[in-house]
Amino acid sequence: MKSIAVIFGGRSAEHDVSIITAHIPIIDTLIVAQEFDVWPIYISKEGKWYCDKRMNDFRFFKQTDWEAQVATWKPVQLSFDDGLHIVWPAIFHKSQKIDVAFPSMHGTYGEDGSLMGLLRMADVPFVGCDIFASAVAMDKVLTKEVVAAEGMSVVPYVWFTKAQWEKNADEFRTRIKQLKFPLFVKPVHLGSSIGITKAKDEKELENAIEVALHYDNKVLVEEGVEPLLEITLPIMGNDDIKTAECERPLNKTEMFDFKDKYLSGGKSESGVNNAYSEIPAQIGDELTKKIKDLGVRVYRTLGCTGIARVDFLVDDSTKEIFVNEVNTLPGSLYAHNWKKAGVSNRDLVLELIRLGEERYAEQKSRTYAFSSDILKKVGGPKVQSSHDET
Amino acid sequence: MKGFLSHYRPKYIRSLVYMLQLSEYNVNDFLHWYHRTWDFSNVEKRGSLKYTSKAILCTVVAWFFVLMFLSIIILGLSPASGDIPHLVGALLILVSPFLVPYLLAFCIRIINTLQIPVEARIVARAKRKLAAHKAFKVAIAGSYGKTSMRELLKTILSEGRKVAAPKGSHNTPLGIAQFIETLSGNEEVLIFELGEYYPGDIKKLCELVRPDLGIITGVNEAHLSKFKQVSAAADTIFELAGFVPASSLYINGENEIARSRAREGNVLYSRSGAGKVIVESVRTDLDGTSVFLKGAYDLSAKSKLLGVHQVGPIAAAVAIAAQLGLSSSEVLRGIEKTKPFEHRLQPTVVDGITTLDDSYNGNPDGVRAVIEFLKSLDGHRRWYVTPGLVEMGDRSEQIHKEIGGQLAKAGIENVVLIKNSVTPYIERGLEKAGYSGKILRFEDMPKALTALQHMTVPTDVVLIQNDWPDQYA
Repeated sequence: MKSIAVIFGGRSAEHDVSIITAHIPIIDTLIVAQEFDVWPIYISKEGKWYCDKRMNDFRFFKQTDWEAQVATWKPVQLSFDDGLHIVWPAIFHKSQKIDVAFPSMHGTYGEDGSLMGLLRMADVPFVGCDIFASAVAMDKVLTKEVVAAEGMSVVPYVWFTKAQWEKNADEFRTRIKQLKFPLFVKPVHLGSSIGITKAKDEKELENAIEVALHYDNKVLVEEGVEPLLEITLPIMGNDDIKTAECERPLNKTEMFDFKDKYLSGGKSESGVNNAYSEIPAQIGDELTKKIKDLGVRVYRTLGCTGIARVDFLVDDSTKEIFVNEVNTLPGSLYAHNWKKAGVSNRDLVLELIRLGEERYAEQKSRTYAFSSDILKKVGGPKVQSSHDET
Repeated sequence: MKGFLSHYRPKYIRSLVYMLQLSEYNVNDFLHWYHRTWDFSNVEKRGSLKYTSKAILCTVVAWFFVLMFLSIIILGLSPASGDIPHLVGALLILVSPFLVPYLLAFCIRIINTLQIPVEARIVARAKRKLAAHKAFKVAIAGSYGKTSMRELLKTILSEGRKVAAPKGSHNTPLGIAQFIETLSGNEEVLIFELGEYYPGDIKKLCELVRPDLGIITGVNEAHLSKFKQVSAAADTIFELAGFVPASSLYINGENEIARSRAREGNVLYSRSGAGKVIVESVRTDLDGTSVFLKGAYDLSAKSKLLGVHQVGPIAAAVAIAAQLGLSSSEVLRGIEKTKPFEHRLQPTVVDGITTLDDSYNGNPDGVRAVIEFLKSLDGHRRWYVTPGLVEMGDRSEQIHKEIGGQLAKAGIENVVLIKNSVTPYIERGLEKAGYSGKILRFEDMPKALTALQHMTVPTDVVLIQNDWPDQYA
């Protein structure tokens, strides 16, 4: 039986959400599928790695003292010798080879490409987008720039770093004046709507920028679309790309904030992001097709593999579609949506693993190293051989 | 070792009483279970002990025995005594948990014997009351399908007559007698289910009920472990024939054994009709079953019952309705009101996934009918979940291999097996028939049902076929 490591937690604002995604549906489904030996790897908020099968049961994390329990365990080490191994250090240390990794980390250090880089170095197949797509998608500004360069529409925006704002706030204020209120102010690297504020006037804008800068050192100010139709579309595949259903989040409040997204409504067993959605969105066949086609274009442009979710803002009166952002690890893999599109949790999780292995095999088939005599040609003193000394 | 130690846990007594309750205080069934079971640490899987007065009495008696053994040991081992050597004391500690079930069974047997004259009086009183009752009495016998037939008949006849029938599975003399006590006297039709456990049972019940009309729903291997031979079960069920005129005995013509025993004048019912009721066309899907009837009535109706195997019983019920003089509109209304009875091919739809709860269907004919129904749903991806059938006696291997073969031929995409002694036979049947779908295996039903949540998508159909009660687990 192949071993799989599901990696979650991490030094991210979305630490807790990541634990949910890891279990619902990933680990729960893997256990049910009975095809893998499942090793849960939890990365604490301090960045320590722990691995214990007790964490395969989601109920472990429902205990009030689970963090205290984990803290008493010995952190594991990683070995990259002949693939990825988890090592439990001891006199007679125990080690477990990992055949495939399933990153289930949202936000910084996980979804931003860092973990993918580590797994590439370890030479182990892993699920989901690779380092490059992850890194671009993690930066909302970079995403917009890449997408816009390919001729797809994005809403007008202004961005700046914390240092730039502190130095030239007025210049950016002038540029922001070119945009129409309401404006959305967002930390560039954060997901789950954390730190995002809607500003209806200049006073609110100042506060919003302050909030966003509190979370991130790069901030995006963009025009709101009104009347707005929000559509989100989960997509999967490497070369053959498949879309799920267009989904319309039904916002209770004006702003789809963190609470709405993760904490209110819905059954906890269904994972995150399941409440208050219309699936498939009742937006007509034409708009649905346009969005799906555009979604696939965005997916390809960013070089996504495995899975991603593309969010769109649609002007409900003109039906103009703007690409908003790309999420390379949708909360709970958007399994609820895939299910409606005819893909069961089991099929989803196993297919994502297959896609990860497919990409790995494809990368392995490419040649990265070749012999050259360049070292010999470089000038400089030759290494003296031992008999020269004698 | 775990099994051995489970005899010494306080929960052991509770498990014994639970199983006595589940076996309806049938000492033979209880001991049969006890001899089969070694590990008592997790007996109450599906249900739990209900503290009725009888259960409390059993618990007290069992603990009394435990305490009795303990006092013998303590007194025996105390220095003051010295009568019982230490070895004997240790031996007593070792064996006492194994004696408790037998002592308990002995007590139950005494209680049951004491109850005989009391019950006989209750039954005799009921018999007198029923003899004076003017209602038209229908008796239903058969190895399977009795409750479904009772409910179907009750639903249709209730549209034109005042009908009463015992609820649940009251099919023993005492159960029926208790029901008779509740009758007000103005009922026009009474429907009785006759339970057969041992030869002579149906005769005994018929003497109590004195039916005007009889229905035999079929004979097969259900409860075979009690009858040993299907022919013995058939003999018992057909005791009903001796109590009704030939023309008032309805026999399920789709059941081979029952059909072969039909006599001249008996009414055979099937999907093509019953007596003067002719079924012209049938259509069935997940919404129900449509029938077009000719002959006694000329009507087209849709029942919520699923599967063409329901058409025969519907036709029989309509023929009986005709015999009782119900109008066409009453029959139509009646058919439209028929719906699956609890746990008998009962559909529920959650998030677009249809689950068919057929957990009370534990007989080979029922299984065949349901697989036939699933086969007709070829636009859906199907999941057949089963632990197999119990009480199939010597025929178990053959029956389960046949089930495997039927599933393979029907092209069911997924077979989910709840692992036990009979499921390998199903697998062999599947294999032999060249099954190309997926076989999944789980330790128990709850695990399988949890897993199915992760494996199904809208439009899938999940059939839960039979769920083994704890005494077979």
